Amino acid sequence: MISLQNIEKVYRTDTIQTLALNNISLDVAKGEFLSIMGPSGCGKSTLLNIMGLLDAPSKGSVRIDSQQTNSLGDKQLAAFRNKKLGFIFQSYHLINDLQVLDNVELPLLYRDTTAKQRRELAAQALEKVGLSNRMKHFPTQLSGGQRQRVAIARAIVGRPEIILADEPTGNLDSVMGNEIMDILTGLNQNEGTTIVMVTHDENMARKTHRLVRLFDGSQVQ
Amino acid sequence: MVKHLFKLIWNKKKQNFLLFSEIFVSFLVIFGVFTFGVYAYKNYMAPMNFEYEDVWVISYTNPLKTENTDSLELFYSTVKQNIKAVPGVIEASYQSANFPFSMSMMTGNIKANGRDINPVNIYDIDDDYAKVLNAKMVEGRWYNKSDAVNNKVIVINKKLKETIFGSGSAVGKYVDGENAKDGKRIIGVVEDLKTEGDYQTVGYGAYRRLDTAGFKWIGTMLVKVKPGADAAFEGRLYKTMANSLKNSNVEIEHLNNKLTSKNKFTLVPLIILSIVAAFLIINVALGLFGVLWYNINKRRGEIGLRRAIGATGDSVSWQLVGESLILATFSLLIGSFFAVQFPLLNVFDLPAIVYVISILLAVIFIYLLVLICALYPGKQAANIYPAVALHEE
Repeated sequence: MISLQNIEKVYRTDTIQTLALNNISLDVAKGEFLSIMGPSGCGKSTLLNIMGLLDAPSKGSVRIDSQQTNSLGDKQLAAFRNKKLGFIFQSYHLINDLQVLDNVELPLLYRDTTAKQRRELAAQALEKVGLSNRMKHFPTQLSGGQRQRVAIARAIVGRPEIILADEPTGNLDSVMGNEIMDILTGLNQNEGTTIVMVTHDENMARKTHRLVRLFDGSQVQ
Repeated sequence: MVKHLFKLIWNKKKQNFLLFSEIFVSFLVIFGVFTFGVYAYKNYMAPMNFEYEDVWVISYTNPLKTENTDSLELFYSTVKQNIKAVPGVIEASYQSANFPFSMSMMTGNIKANGRDINPVNIYDIDDDYAKVLNAKMVEGRWYNKSDAVNNKVIVINKKLKETIFGSGSAVGKYVDGENAKDGKRIIGVVEDLKTEGDYQTVGYGAYRRLDTAGFKWIGTMLVKVKPGADAAFEGRLYKTMANSLKNSNVEIEHLNNKLTSKNKFTLVPLIILSIVAAFLIINVALGLFGVLWYNINKRRGEIGLRRAIGATGDSVSWQLVGESLILATFSLLIGSFFAVQFPLLNVFDLPAIVYVISILLAVIFIYLLVLICALYPGKQAANIYPAVALHEE
């Protein structure tokens, strides 16, 4: 589903250059639930951003669903992200000025859908994460766990084949973290969604199919 | 997407209030400047309907102490003949102090058809006034010697005629009374002479033939001279006038110079207002630019998120521009509501079309201003690297 070949990422400034990822090759199978672990600054998020086409590698190739992505332009990349990928972030990235339902609808705004279709799909996504009763609330009126569930609903509303989660339980206590993991596991098992999750939590990582460890930008496991 | 932007702006109404107010106030100021400008331009484009080039004004003080009106008329007829006899003088006419482009005015009211028109500019002139200014008649005729025996006749301008009598003929009808005994019979309708300058509108006008008593207080003569009249000619004219009017203060001015001076009375306030407005616009532009720039920096996370979920750089850019334009639309709707009260309540007695054009121009101007101020920050937003923006939050 996702194939990374010899990925290298170098950040350059005027005076120094930092090697964030060094020769990473990784294949993620369709329907797989993969977790990426490693200490802070080891390149986990960079790797996830490259998988999510939010960042371009300095070297190497990214192939998603058999599509070579290196040569895609801004419009094609945006369309690709919109249709194929769903993102979940540690800090949720909800728009506080929009109600929950409107937040969940966001990815559909960049597709050719009617307002009615958007409403229906967003409502269905919220139902899946158990937040049907919070549609008219604003994010600031929700707990951390609820906000992350809204973020999951937003990630799945467009029915993407891949979900990329960057420390989705990082800001939550263990109870809420487990709830989020249950939802992600359910999505993976019931709907066959491929999930790549960056985490610091060994317990959460153990619930996934496979664990990849990074250290100083290199894959160590 | 538009609905989404409306919702986003509405939900952030407190944060947007300052920007909204700024655009609203700017619109009202720009509307005021445009109203002034459009009104001046509209007047400028209206025809003068008379010739002022090579028309000079001789102002004098009355040196005669006699109360005998016949003697006065005879004396001033002689003076006029002397002036007309100067080689290079084409025509001459006495007129009250409110000659074209002067700072004087004399107003009264005219009653007719059950209406009381006020104010009406009253001009006391003689039979040669229309010839000096080459004023054209719309209907009827100008004064001539036959009117000396019947001074209960009047010439009015086209604007006054249309207000009182509409599109029908006015010649033979009466004003200030309903018959020959009480009123004055209209013998002619003259074109609207734009005697207040290029940028002023034509008012109602009534032209009265100078009677013998009028010479007691008349102190102005309009003289049409041949093109190319020079200082030597002006000297001869002055001498002729001074010799004809012993012990009188005589002054000669040119109508085209008077027009330039008169126009300054409109242009100077317009220029000052425009400069003030320009400073305001620069402030507003900088304010808009600053607020939009600040908003973008504050919303980097949101911009990164939108890029992640499928927005292109261009769509992010246009979203921010669109938000600004929608916000401007709210301000313009409220501003236009206040602006349309001016024609509805006839606040400054200007034609409604002036307000309508000014509202449209002000709306276009504000939209352009907002667009220009939003484009660059929008472009910067499009360049925000999503991975970096998302990581910052």
